[in-house]
Amino acid sequence: MNVFLASAGHEMLSVRRARISHLLLAVFVGMVSVSSIIGWITNATVTSVYEQILAAGLTTAPNPFTSVPALYYARNAVIYVVLIGSLMAIVLGVQATIRDRKAGTTSLILSRPVGTIARLAGQLAGLGAVIAAVLAVSMAISWAAISIIVGEALGPDPTIRLIGFVGCAWTLLMVFASVGMLAGIFSKRESTALLVPFVVWSGLAFVLPQLGTAARPVALLNPVPITVATGGYFDLVAAITAPLAITEQFKRAASILLQDVNVPGSPIGSIAILIAFLLVAVTVVVFVPRQKLRGALND
Amino acid sequence: MTDLFTVAGKELLDLRRDRLFVILISFLAVVIFISVAVGAADFRSQLEAYNRYVADLTASGTGVAPAAPQLFPLQLLRGGIEYLEIIGALFAIVLGYGTIAKEKHRGTLQLFLTRPVNRFAFAGGKVAGLSLVWLVVVVILTAVSIGAVVTIGGGTVTATDLARVAITAGFVWFYLVFWTALAVGLTSLSGRLSSALIVALVIWLAFVLVIPQIGDTMDPDNQVPGGLFAALQIQKTDELAVLAQFAGFDGIRNGLEVSSITKHFERLSFALLGIKDAYNQQPIPVVLAAMLPYAITLTAATIASVIFATAATTRRTLQRTQS
Repeated sequence: MNVFLASAGHEMLSVRRARISHLLLAVFVGMVSVSSIIGWITNATVTSVYEQILAAGLTTAPNPFTSVPALYYARNAVIYVVLIGSLMAIVLGVQATIRDRKAGTTSLILSRPVGTIARLAGQLAGLGAVIAAVLAVSMAISWAAISIIVGEALGPDPTIRLIGFVGCAWTLLMVFASVGMLAGIFSKRESTALLVPFVVWSGLAFVLPQLGTAARPVALLNPVPITVATGGYFDLVAAITAPLAITEQFKRAASILLQDVNVPGSPIGSIAILIAFLLVAVTVVVFVPRQKLRGALND
Repeated sequence: MTDLFTVAGKELLDLRRDRLFVILISFLAVVIFISVAVGAADFRSQLEAYNRYVADLTASGTGVAPAAPQLFPLQLLRGGIEYLEIIGALFAIVLGYGTIAKEKHRGTLQLFLTRPVNRFAFAGGKVAGLSLVWLVVVVILTAVSIGAVVTIGGGTVTATDLARVAITAGFVWFYLVFWTALAVGLTSLSGRLSSALIVALVIWLAFVLVIPQIGDTMDPDNQVPGGLFAALQIQKTDELAVLAQFAGFDGIRNGLEVSSITKHFERLSFALLGIKDAYNQQPIPVVLAAMLPYAITLTAATIASVIFATAATTRRTLQRTQS
């Protein structure tokens, strides 16, 4: 078996054996699965609220929730990918590279004729397979839950859109898994290896979007698009920060794919940015110098 | 008691030398400063839009100008409070984890436990030392916040405002000590250090991000951009009357939110700083009276967390097999 496949297989086996990884995976699958039900209960209640308002003669505006698309019920899943999925990917990435350093097996592996590119690419591929499997299970449950809510099996168009959403989510999570792998390689302590990607994540998820839109951190956790500040300063800063805020790019692409009427436009630009980030992250990971992999761990 | 002070003193010395700690606190200070700057820029942008609107009205000679947007300086701290809720709690967990992990890794724990020290000296000293560190950090962050509001925010801070900020800072300190003590207890209980950190992070994820997020997305007013009731042009009194008929749903939603300590901290600090409109410019005693349940729960949770850390950090738990 070549190095790439052996590394990928070993990574999947390691994740399967690590009980703590199961906790994160279970939280992610569970939350994405129940997100459709939360969306349905909320939508039913808000429709009742609107009907009360209409019956009391307080408004003549049309119901903003009439004929919402079936995929409306999956919109909370977008936030859970950004919150739970990203952190899960970071932990998996850190554990992938720090595991051998902790066990002291890195030097043993590197004493063999093992190419580091094949080794790291194999580990990344193993993580990619695990993340893809988790997303596939989550979305299969979501697909079934939404089908039950709307009373019929989702047709080809919403199913393809849901698959597109899974693809975007996988791309985002692989970026964070790569960041986690890098932190696991370069950090001198395990706590730092976990903390640094978390700080990077908080910068990308909260600070960058806030700079260009004045959105508060907590508001960014709501699937409903924020009211963006505009004007000289914000227009200028948003032009710089928006392409770098990959979690917001993911939310935009996912919202369009899930037919959120509040997010118009094409998802192509956002998807291209996500893919560009992934290519850069993967390139940086696989070209880590051989001697860096041997770095000692202080704790 | 001397043992406890010795441990606390050593903790302070360690953290003073820890570059990572300095970087984390600097990061927190920078994001708080940025959030005030962005909030001030947003207000100026609104004011410019208002002035343009009034100028257009005056030129056309029609309509009555609406009230101008008013700057309440402490409302600029909203983003900073939210960063403390999320990132501050994360850093508090890492600090609490690190204080036990480093002793286990360096082997200094075994040496310490060979000494005839008091049962609570180690845990008490660790928690006391970290609490003192957080007190200093909160004082620094408070100074940064007020400085940002006055300089880049262009606000005027009165003595009453300073009192509001000082009381809020006290609850910020409680909140951070809560997370640090929780992490100390979890790390002591766990034989495998990385598991302790990941479990603490999952708890953080659930109680700081996920549970409040579920409550927030279930709020009927958060279903369309700008708010459902604003979109339907419903007055506040009518909104309350309609929502009163959905008390069961709102009870579940609110129940979810208040199961998170973060939401208690948020409601309390938003009321004290006047970020929540209903409490803006209200006298401090009125706000404190209204927020008393949240103040009690936050304080009780912090005390419980400290007791948990102290009780969980025993010779037996500390000497469990380590990774």
